[in-house]
Amino acid sequence: MRKILFFITLATGLFADNKEFIDQIQGDSSVWGEGRFINIPTYYDNGFAKFFVDWQGNGYFAMLAAVAILAVIVAFAGHYAIVGPKHFSHSHGKIYAFNVIERLVHLIAAVAWVVLVPTGVIMMFGEEFGGGFFVRLCKNLHGLATILFAISLIPMFAFWFVRMLPATYDLKWMFMVGGYLSKNKKPIPAGKFNAGQKAWFWVATVGGFFMIVTGALMYFLDYPAPVINETLGLSQIDVLRLSAIVHNILGAACAVFLLVHIYMAVFAIKGSIHAIITGYKEEEEVYILHHYWYQELLKKGEIKPSVFEQKYTNLK
Amino acid sequence: MSSVRMKFLCDLDRCIDCDGCSVACDSGHELALDVRRRRVITLNEGIPGKEFSTSMACMHCTDAPCAQVCPVNCFYIREDAIVLHDKNTCIGCGYCLYACPFGAPQFPRGGIFSTKGAMDKCTMCAGGPEETNSKEEFHIYGQNRIAEGKVPLCAAMCATKALLVGESTEVDRIYRDRVVARKYSRGASQTPSTYPGNAW
Ligand code: SF4
Ligand code: SF4
Repeated sequence: MRKILFFITLATGLFADNKEFIDQIQGDSSVWGEGRFINIPTYYDNGFAKFFVDWQGNGYFAMLAAVAILAVIVAFAGHYAIVGPKHFSHSHGKIYAFNVIERLVHLIAAVAWVVLVPTGVIMMFGEEFGGGFFVRLCKNLHGLATILFAISLIPMFAFWFVRMLPATYDLKWMFMVGGYLSKNKKPIPAGKFNAGQKAWFWVATVGGFFMIVTGALMYFLDYPAPVINETLGLSQIDVLRLSAIVHNILGAACAVFLLVHIYMAVFAIKGSIHAIITGYKEEEEVYILHHYWYQELLKKGEIKPSVFEQKYTNLK
Repeated sequence: MSSVRMKFLCDLDRCIDCDGCSVACDSGHELALDVRRRRVITLNEGIPGKEFSTSMACMHCTDAPCAQVCPVNCFYIREDAIVLHDKNTCIGCGYCLYACPFGAPQFPRGGIFSTKGAMDKCTMCAGGPEETNSKEEFHIYGQNRIAEGKVPLCAAMCATKALLVGESTEVDRIYRDRVVARKYSRGASQTPSTYPGNAW
């Protein structure tokens, strides 16, 4: 009997809680284990803690984001008032641009970003929102929306990345700021995606990837990650500090690009948002803003010569 | 009153790694299993002459970096320099942990999707913003022994009195007297007297 009891206690000791208990008391923690003490000198010697405390403590991250966002909004208002939106004929032909899968993946990413950016900004200004339930809710939504974005990231990258590679005419596009500074309609050097869209694509995918990674590192906080720690040569706490720095600065860039993207689709080129809803772009819009793509489609015989050939000049 | 500054000091020549302080803290405040406000650790284990143990929790820093970085500003520093925070305002972002030189802030796990709960750290047994000695205060922050005029649990329980807590000049005086009397000193781990950032 005593032997059996002994074995039962042994078994429960092994299977029930032994490992869990040790985990729980942080025996294997990469933050609160031995590292907690070894990290004390690195707090003073390593730049990350100083940079993080300076920037976060003085609100520089939030200021950077706020200034960038306000600057873009002011620029839009100015652009809308001075140059004004571009209108393209909706009564001519339409060109099929995005298939149903592309549109669906874009929709998932769009929903994710529309949640991610405002909730992120609210967290940056958590104090102004009083913290507590509301900001905590935003933080949790931020995490959930990340899952959506992560789902859309790989297909989105796979669908578009070839067309998003830079081309020489992108430089010309940049010098003329995509022709957005004037209301003149003349063909603009751009393929299916112009240089601005390309920049946005790379920010959203590669930048987004780093946002997911740094966000996940901070979300999971305490985990044994010898690979990360060794490749970066940093202790876990420094990985977290670096993640917070990268996440905050890159986040401001993401917010700005999202705003530009929305402004372009909704305001700057009236009605162009329909392309990603219905899949069709207006023929005139393609002719002017994506001229090289127009030529490409023409050469492939996918479209007929446009009536706009007569109306506007043609690019070489 | 405002000239009173509380501090922690652990005498490295006296700490014997008995874990009395951390057990007292865990038990007295009825902490969750995954939260250890105070920890004792031995460094240079097995190296003769270099091995020493020390007890560490939140050090209640001057111009505490945790309070500086908190995006929802839920920290408040009492007149006697004890650094406390409001768990109902905290969003569990973890920034205070990144800023803390001593790895003090802790995050209970096990919420939905294993989200981090509200930050937990040593209160120097001074409770929180809830009504003093109320049930809620005890439930959220643990005992408020300071309000009862008692020494914090850890130092009260310390068998060798390596761990000292109290008014900073008094704590410093006790430690100085000890060093003078025993004529050797390995040093102490203690509340930094200036903001750690000033050392950069
Ligand atoms: S030890 Fe850490 S948690 Fe405590 S006051 Fe200093 S920075 Fe804040
Ligand atoms: S975890 Fe809580 S206390 Fe710490 S910085 Fe974030 S909101 Fe502030």
